[in-house]
Amino acid sequence: MFSRPALLCLAFLAASPALAGEPAVILVKTLTAQMKYDTPEMLMTPGQQVRIVFENGDDLPHNLVFCQPGTDTAAMALKQMENAEVALKRNWLPDDPRIWAHSKMLNPHEKDEITFTAPTKPGVYPYVCTFPGHAMTMRGEVKVAPTGEGLKNLTFALHLGAWEKLPDFTKLKPHREGKVEDNLIQVKLDDYKNEFGVVFTGTLDAPKRGAYRFFLASDDGSRILIDGKEVITNDGIHPSGDIKEKSVSLEKGPHVFRLEYFQSRGGVELFAAWKGADFQTTPLSKWLHPNWKAGGKKKKDDFPPMPLVVKDEPVIYRNFIQGAGNRGIGVGFPGGINIAWSAESMNLALVWRGAFIDASRHWNSRGGGHERPLGYDVLQPTGEVTPAFFISDKPDAEWPAWDKSKRHDGFAWKGYSLDAKRSPTFRYTWKGTEIQESFTTTGDGNRPGGKPTLIRTIRINGELPANAWCRIGAGAFEQTGGVFESVGPKSFRVSAVGARIAGLNVVVPAKSGTVAITYQWLP
Amino acid sequence: MKLLSLISPILCLVTALHAADPVEGDFYKITTFDTPKETALEVGAIDLMPDGRLAVGTRRGEIWIVSGAGSSDPAAVSYKLFASGLHEVLGIAYNAKDKKLYATTRYEITRLTDTDGDGRADVFDNVNDGWGVSGDYHEYAVGSRFDKAGDLWVTLCLTGSFDSAVPFRGWALRIKPDGKMVPTCSGIRSPGGVGFDAEGEVYYCDNQGPWHGSCTLQHLVPGSFQGHPAGNVWYDLAPNMGPRPIDPIPEAFQGDRSRKENRPGGDPDRMVTERGRIKQLVPPAVYLVHGKIGNSASAIICDTSGGKFGPFGKQLFIADQSHSNLSRVFLETVNGIKQGVVFPFRGGFASGLIGGRMDEEGRVFVGGSDRGWGARGGKPHCFEKVEWTGRTPFEIHEMRAKPDGFELTFTQPADARAAGDVKSYTMREFTYAYREQYGGDEIDEILPQITSAKVAADGRSVRLIVTPLTKGHIHELHCEGVKSADGTALLHAVGYYTLNEIPM
Repeated sequence: MFSRPALLCLAFLAASPALAGEPAVILVKTLTAQMKYDTPEMLMTPGQQVRIVFENGDDLPHNLVFCQPGTDTAAMALKQMENAEVALKRNWLPDDPRIWAHSKMLNPHEKDEITFTAPTKPGVYPYVCTFPGHAMTMRGEVKVAPTGEGLKNLTFALHLGAWEKLPDFTKLKPHREGKVEDNLIQVKLDDYKNEFGVVFTGTLDAPKRGAYRFFLASDDGSRILIDGKEVITNDGIHPSGDIKEKSVSLEKGPHVFRLEYFQSRGGVELFAAWKGADFQTTPLSKWLHPNWKAGGKKKKDDFPPMPLVVKDEPVIYRNFIQGAGNRGIGVGFPGGINIAWSAESMNLALVWRGAFIDASRHWNSRGGGHERPLGYDVLQPTGEVTPAFFISDKPDAEWPAWDKSKRHDGFAWKGYSLDAKRSPTFRYTWKGTEIQESFTTTGDGNRPGGKPTLIRTIRINGELPANAWCRIGAGAFEQTGGVFESVGPKSFRVSAVGARIAGLNVVVPAKSGTVAITYQWLP
Repeated sequence: MKLLSLISPILCLVTALHAADPVEGDFYKITTFDTPKETALEVGAIDLMPDGRLAVGTRRGEIWIVSGAGSSDPAAVSYKLFASGLHEVLGIAYNAKDKKLYATTRYEITRLTDTDGDGRADVFDNVNDGWGVSGDYHEYAVGSRFDKAGDLWVTLCLTGSFDSAVPFRGWALRIKPDGKMVPTCSGIRSPGGVGFDAEGEVYYCDNQGPWHGSCTLQHLVPGSFQGHPAGNVWYDLAPNMGPRPIDPIPEAFQGDRSRKENRPGGDPDRMVTERGRIKQLVPPAVYLVHGKIGNSASAIICDTSGGKFGPFGKQLFIADQSHSNLSRVFLETVNGIKQGVVFPFRGGFASGLIGGRMDEEGRVFVGGSDRGWGARGGKPHCFEKVEWTGRTPFEIHEMRAKPDGFELTFTQPADARAAGDVKSYTMREFTYAYREQYGGDEIDEILPQITSAKVAADGRSVRLIVTPLTKGHIHELHCEGVKSADGTALLHAVGYYTLNEIPM
């Protein structure tokens, strides 16, 4: 129905993505200050020739290292730290037989190209950046799977008629019939351009018993039938739009495939494909829908990123932040250090480095959902966010349980003030006593070896019970002098005058006055 | 395509025949302002500040101070960012006593202070955050300006359309000058704006959905239940409100309706029936008839300009986020209940309207965005001004209920013969089911007789005798035959009167 210039259709054909047997060109970029590739997944067919164009737009060095299925890439990258001198000489490329392809270590804003033959064995092959500290988040997967078989013995039957919906073709006499030599469904516009219908019939071989997914998009209406049963219908007059898809269970062996299509007036497009457990989406039509590789699914919340850039003063972002409850206050400090504070729990919820936050989820459409930090090395110093303060005669005993469905008793949120550098001081009360929290940063969170440090200053303006405590770290810690190092994958260091381990926590006595707490990432 | 090509010659013909017919723009002029390039000024709320400045709060959580918007030169407008990073500003209020701005955001009312005088806020005090947020996107908090008692009103959207997951979702709260919170009305579904009439009575707009066949203008009577029962689980937290109202009947006879059968004795799920059973239930003052007046009612703007905005002094103007228009409401009180009529007023705004405010000079500032629901106008967001051109449109000025019909007044003398001819009028009465399902059709239609139309000697008003009047129904009046003394047709010949009460 929708008129599109014929040239545009031709352009689609010319730009069609690589199919089995053709060399694939895949562009991979790094995302600025997010410790991520822009491509979390690559599709290849076994033995396919692949050219990867790798661009590093970030301000840190990155590489792209392809490994065998099942490789624990984070452990592999970490292992080279055992002999850092050697690793440095190898430019942080692990000496590991599971690596089968890799790029150079690219400096910021460099570009590299590598070509290789995709593995012949189908499977999931992880890839990763092996620069120290990057492997936890900077990774993705190559999915190697063959394409499936196409249609066989494909024939067409052309009908003439003006319809608004698919007619019952079984009751109509075809105007012309014939074979489709290349066995690919296509609508040829040689003599009839409007008001016609085509029925394609062929054989489809299911390699084994199981579920198969079919895909269909058309301008105008169409439907797919397998062994006479309707699988997908896309009837009516419309542009091809989104791909419709549906799964159907098939026995091993040949099946009768039938696709019915009609054209009213205007644009003509027809796409069909199928996919099985052992083969990737395989087109059955000559025309390829622009989104055919993604299947019919449109990614949710797929908005262009709107990163909030921190320049020379802190940036505040109050919204739903993942890990900071429903009253989160994000603060991006200059120098690549960021926090999320919770005005629900009156506590520091998250600390991360690199980029601050992407507002696109909240600033597009209805703005639903909780947004994650945009940067990396996200710490939750006291675990899931709950209040920092508690009263106990035995702080080594269990931590009090908080009911997260309710506001926390005894705490009241007061607000915040910005100092001359526009850095916030959060204000709240606990048991009627005013408490203030402010933050300073040193070092550079955007740079490796930048020694980023967050200093959190808690000031208690009044008296609290003698057995009041403030938790500054949660989890298992090892103590060296006055410094506590967390034991775990997201390791950090916390220190404060008077701090001590209490069970699975690091605590300081909560009393009138000021305490400065230092948080640092472990290298 | 075919259909269009058939119609367009007819359209041209019609246009040619009535080339001189007045249009809305002849009487009310819209000026569209350029907005700061570095942001999307998705206006959520507007209030007046001293010296003709405006405070504009946005969906992106910014507050801009706007200067020069009152100037006749749109290029004189300038913007200064006062605050950013707030969680969605859908209420902004300037307090003349402490000279501070108060912003209603997703989870608190924030008082903003610029202590160092650099034009940017540096102290953000929590005035009140006594309501819950569960993280659901739909839990909007829409705030008012200060009322005559110095209170702020906050209307809290439900969790989605059907639930109240955390305290006071689905309530209107008052925040006293000392920061204390007073739960004031229950029964709210999805508020779009809170505002005042000329006497300072408080209203809010609710949106079509469960228990709402249409968007509505509702009177926030303290202690009242506004119709959606999901939030009534929080009565235990509001002892000042008295006992919890009994629940309305969800939809008692759906099966009957699906077969288009009428239940003997009438359907119980009507607002007029349930009002008799649920004593706290206050009916919508005016149904903003769905699809005809708008689809997404938002700001409430009262004309307090003393004539500077034209002839509609003390009437209310209701903004709409999907139709991108303003409608006009005339209210009266009958048997202690607010009710009245809505007329189309002015369309053609550049995007969906959310916030609005009139200044002392009778200039109406509006703005909003199309984000999330789509809006007419074609722009993703807008900030605009509406001014009276000084020409008075021929309109129905007021429409009042009478024991046996209605009285219309006109903005200009009407042609006595046309206005006195009953054939100049048609009326249709209908209502909506008051039920849990989302939205609903116009039902229980009645086509009454207009048996008499008596024009006053000065041609300024006409008395219509209507048989029957139906309590609880919306009375849709068309006056296509009415002409002004100089032969001009009404600019808007339709009005929708919500007859909650028939006067004695």
